[in-house]
Amino acid sequence: MSSVMILEQILNFIVDTYMVEIDEIPLNESLIDEGIIDSFGLIELASFLEKAFLIQVNDDDLTRDNFSSINKMIALVDRKKSHD
Amino acid sequence: MCGVFGVLGVHKQNKKNIVVNALSHLNHRGPDAWGLYVNRVIGLGHTRLSIIDIEDGHQPMQSSYCIISFNGEIYNYIELRKELESQGYSFNTNSDTEVILKLYESIGTNCFKMLNGEFSVLIWDKKSEQLVVGRDRYGIRPLYVLLHDRAYFFSSEMKAFDALAHYKREIDPQHLFEHGLLWNTLADNSIYKDIYTVESGTFEVFNVNGRTTKERYYQVGESFDSNITADSFDNTKKAFQELLDDSIKVRLRSDVPVGAYLSGGIDSTIISQRIKEYTNYELKTFSVTFEDKSLNESHFQILASKQISSIHHEVKILNQDIDDNLLKSIYHTERPIFRTAPVPLHLLSHKVKDTDTKVVLTGEGADEILFGYDTFKELKILNEWKLSNGDSTVIESLKELYPHLSHYADKRQFAFIKMYYEGFLSDFDNEFNGLNIRLSNNKIIEKYFNKSLGIKFNKSTLLEKLKKTLPSNYASFSLLQKNSYLEIKTLLQGYLLSSQGDRMAMSNSVEGRFPFLDHRVVEMAFGMPDEYKLKNFDQKHILKQAFKNEIPEEITNRPKQPYMAPDLIAFISSDGQLSDLASTMLSEQYIVEYGLFDNKIVKRFLNKFKNGVPENTGYRDNMIFIFLLTSQICQYWINNPLEVELDMGKCVVDILDM
Repeated sequence: MSSVMILEQILNFIVDTYMVEIDEIPLNESLIDEGIIDSFGLIELASFLEKAFLIQVNDDDLTRDNFSSINKMIALVDRKKSHD
Repeated sequence: MCGVFGVLGVHKQNKKNIVVNALSHLNHRGPDAWGLYVNRVIGLGHTRLSIIDIEDGHQPMQSSYCIISFNGEIYNYIELRKELESQGYSFNTNSDTEVILKLYESIGTNCFKMLNGEFSVLIWDKKSEQLVVGRDRYGIRPLYVLLHDRAYFFSSEMKAFDALAHYKREIDPQHLFEHGLLWNTLADNSIYKDIYTVESGTFEVFNVNGRTTKERYYQVGESFDSNITADSFDNTKKAFQELLDDSIKVRLRSDVPVGAYLSGGIDSTIISQRIKEYTNYELKTFSVTFEDKSLNESHFQILASKQISSIHHEVKILNQDIDDNLLKSIYHTERPIFRTAPVPLHLLSHKVKDTDTKVVLTGEGADEILFGYDTFKELKILNEWKLSNGDSTVIESLKELYPHLSHYADKRQFAFIKMYYEGFLSDFDNEFNGLNIRLSNNKIIEKYFNKSLGIKFNKSTLLEKLKKTLPSNYASFSLLQKNSYLEIKTLLQGYLLSSQGDRMAMSNSVEGRFPFLDHRVVEMAFGMPDEYKLKNFDQKHILKQAFKNEIPEEITNRPKQPYMAPDLIAFISSDGQLSDLASTMLSEQYIVEYGLFDNKIVKRFLNKFKNGVPENTGYRDNMIFIFLLTSQICQYWINNPLEVELDMGKCVVDILDM
């Protein structure tokens, strides 16, 4: 699966779940800091990543380095997939 | 408790009609009697709920050269009266109203800082041909001003303006957004164009040409001096106990019996216990219970009522009750709410009225002045986190927060909570303080507004606006004192005292009294060292220590449970059906007609619940839904004002002074 496809799926999920338009979603900013999601939102997003991309998000993955922007989440998914 | 109304404008010919029509919309605030005063310049009106000097306290009340329309209670009126009598003033009634009138004649607008109590007041001074309007220190009693057709109108509630010819309330979307962000509008703004509120702790003076003076006579924390060394904890505890007792005692001054709300928490339990201690009448206590066990606190309410042997009344709230009563509740709040928690209090005040009780003491204010909210813990943790450079024990203490939310206890998901709070490390200590978190959670509502309104979240603009409202000694406050100040100015005034307090009690002609909001109590609490109020994570520490022997231990030691009512779940069935009210108000037809919100976004949001409300639905979705729904209902009431008429037989004052 390409990064673009991962991006598309994440964006669609965010649009449907958090009621923002695609062009309002920043790729390099924190979705929390931008007010798009709250702490519940992070939990929803992590579950979504696990289900949509069939990956396992472990305790030590739960850092700002992996979740503080969409591009970082894509990188996480990429990394996880390539280890499969 | 009462309703006040005024019109100021020489060119208005039919002032009597204006006042009578407006008063009809304030009848629920004072159904016992009404009256009016009209002269060439001004018309004053009053609807009365008789509590002190039932026979003679009618209003508007005249003295030698002043006339007053007053809503509220002055608890030190007996002492003030003695003082005035010693200066040679004589009195015709036993009311607190006459005391304000004579005090004003004695010392002018310096009278406000002498008053202990809650009030909104209109005083026409015939000598100077000036109207003086004033409001209590914490904004317990409402007072709004409208400039329309070259005249000024003053009212306890904005719905009275709906009676004016050629006038229709109009929501100001930018102010509505600000209200959504902070749970109140800043400064003197209301959510409506052309209507402002007389700010708490201020008075204003008008002559025939308009407003000439706006002056602050009180500010929260005004007596705080960071250079003074605090007294010991034990001495402070004793002094605080005595002062709170006195605050409760003076709030029992009434010519009708006083009851109490009993939530099951420590604040209301202490108040009820102290009333019982100081009175010999059968105390009636009142509680809300819920069918939803996670919200229900009846175990603690019954425990408290048994211990103080009160006659206890409960109103059991079903989800359906919330849906059935939201429309009426928003008629009274006149602004959107964010949780349905006010609705049960509308039903509770009905119960109070049914038991022939007119006055209740309640615990509002304790959480703000004694650091009872989680925002205080959050700030304390963030501060220690920053100072310790991320010490893991400090970060672990985030688990202290929100024990009622199951996901906070989950080890894995704790990491997300940490990430969430990490985002605030850079700015939690700016002027917004604890409000940074509320802003961050609430700014999402920007996306729901109709795009053509151009609503944009601009934190720095809002910060500049906030800074202009802050007192000169704000910088000397501690981090937690700043939060106390801001919670009082936003959540307490804009929501708890108004939407959830005054309006829900007055909707059934019941008066709420707030012992924790006696200014002596507030100022004493404000000046205490932070650790007296929040010791480690023990909230309201000094209050618990002062009264732990008087109330059940189980109540002192229970974790704080925020008072909440069913939100989304009250309007959406398990198979995803919206209630009639929600489906109408959030329908494409109403969304487009009212123009406040974006239909596509609202539709997409509602689609989230097409299979019912998911179990783990969080704060934000509940808040968004209630905010959207109740904003729509505000517009509904603007478009469909109620037709109400006054009972002409209850007119007790009708003065034409041309």
